[in-house]
Amino acid sequence: MSAVKQNGSSNRRSLVFLAKFLALLVAFYALVAWNPVNDAVIVPFTAGIARVSGVLLNALGEKVSVEGTEIRSGSFAVQIENGCNGVEAALLFGAAVLAFPAPWRRRLTGLVGGFAAIQGLNFVRVVSLFWIGAHRPALFSSSHTVLWQSAVVLASVLLFLFWASRPETRGAEADRGHGP
Amino acid sequence: MGRKKGVARPRGARLRLDGRAALRLTAGFGAGLAFWLAFSAPYEKTVAGAAEFLLRLFERPAVTSLVARAGEILVDRSDFPPASPRPGLPAADLHFNFVLLAALFALAPHPLELRRFGRFWIAAGGLWAIHVLALVFQVEALYATRLGAWSDAHYGALARNIWAGGFHFYQIAGRFAAPFALWWALGNFEFRNSKFEFPG
Repeated sequence: MSAVKQNGSSNRRSLVFLAKFLALLVAFYALVAWNPVNDAVIVPFTAGIARVSGVLLNALGEKVSVEGTEIRSGSFAVQIENGCNGVEAALLFGAAVLAFPAPWRRRLTGLVGGFAAIQGLNFVRVVSLFWIGAHRPALFSSSHTVLWQSAVVLASVLLFLFWASRPETRGAEADRGHGP
Repeated sequence: MGRKKGVARPRGARLRLDGRAALRLTAGFGAGLAFWLAFSAPYEKTVAGAAEFLLRLFERPAVTSLVARAGEILVDRSDFPPASPRPGLPAADLHFNFVLLAALFALAPHPLELRRFGRFWIAAGGLWAIHVLALVFQVEALYATRLGAWSDAHYGALARNIWAGGFHFYQIAGRFAAPFALWWALGNFEFRNSKFEFPG
C-alpha cells in the first residue's frame, strides 16, 4: 500500500518536473528568440565565441581571421549560428536545473558551473569542426549535425543528472512539496 | 552476487553515473547511430508520407506532395510553375535526435531487458510523431515565409509567426528536448533520496 503510494507520488513529482521543464524551455526560447535579446545578447555572445575560437585555432596553427560570427581561413569558412553557439544546450540544462527541486543556491551554482562546462565543450566543438571542414570536408556535415550536436546535448543531460544526483541535493527532500 | 534464474530482479535498479553507465551510453550512441544510418532512407519516407497526409488534410485543393530522396525532403505543389525549382529540406536535421534517444535509454542498467527495450520503442514512436509534426511546421514555414508575394498573399502575420516560430523552436530547443522529455517520461524515473531510479 505504502509502496503504491510512494510510486504514485514519485510519478506525480516526475510529471511535475517534466511540465516545469517544458514550460521553462518554451519561456527561455521565447526570450532568446525575441529580436532585441537576440541582437543585444545572443549575436554578440556568438561573436565572442567566434573570437575565442579564432584565437584557439590560430594557436593551433590554422591561420584564421574572424569577422562577426564568421571564422575563415584560406580554404574554409564557417558561420557560427544559433544551434552551434551552445545556447541550445544551455537552455536545456538551465530549464532542467530550474525545474528540479533544489535549494536556490545550489541551482545557481549548477547553472554557472553547467554553463561554463557546456561552453568549454562548445569551444572544442567549434575548433574541431573548423579543423574537419578545412582538412576533411567530406566529414564536416555528419560531424556537425549528428556527432557534435548529439555530444553537446548528451553532455548537458549528463551534467544535469550529475548535478541532480549529488548528495547536496538531498536538502531538496525538505523541498519535496515544490518539486517533481 | 549472481542472479538466480526465475527470481525477479529487485525493483529500483539505481542509475549511477559511473564507468558502466558511460560504457552503456557510448554503446547506445553507437548502436543508435548505426541503426539511424541504416534506416534513415525508409524512415524519411514514412515521415514524409505522414506529413504530406496531414498537410493535404487542411489544403483546399490538396496540392502538396513530399518526396524523401537522398537525404532531402523535396516539397512539390501541383500549382507550382512546372519550370520552377522544388525546394529541398535537409532531412537529417529533422530526425538525427533518434541517436540521442538511443543513447539516453542505454544509460539505465539492463537497457535490453524486455520492458525497458519496449519503452524505448514506444518513445521512438513518440519521436516519429514529433518528426512528422516538425516537418509539417517546416513546410508551412516555407510556404509562409519563403515564397515572396505568394507567401504574403496566402499567409497573414499571425500565421507566419506561428509556423515559422514553431519550426524555429524545434530547431533551437525542441529537437534536443524531445528525446530528453520522452526518456524522462517513459524511462520510468523515481526520485528517492534525490537519486534517479529505474524501477523494474
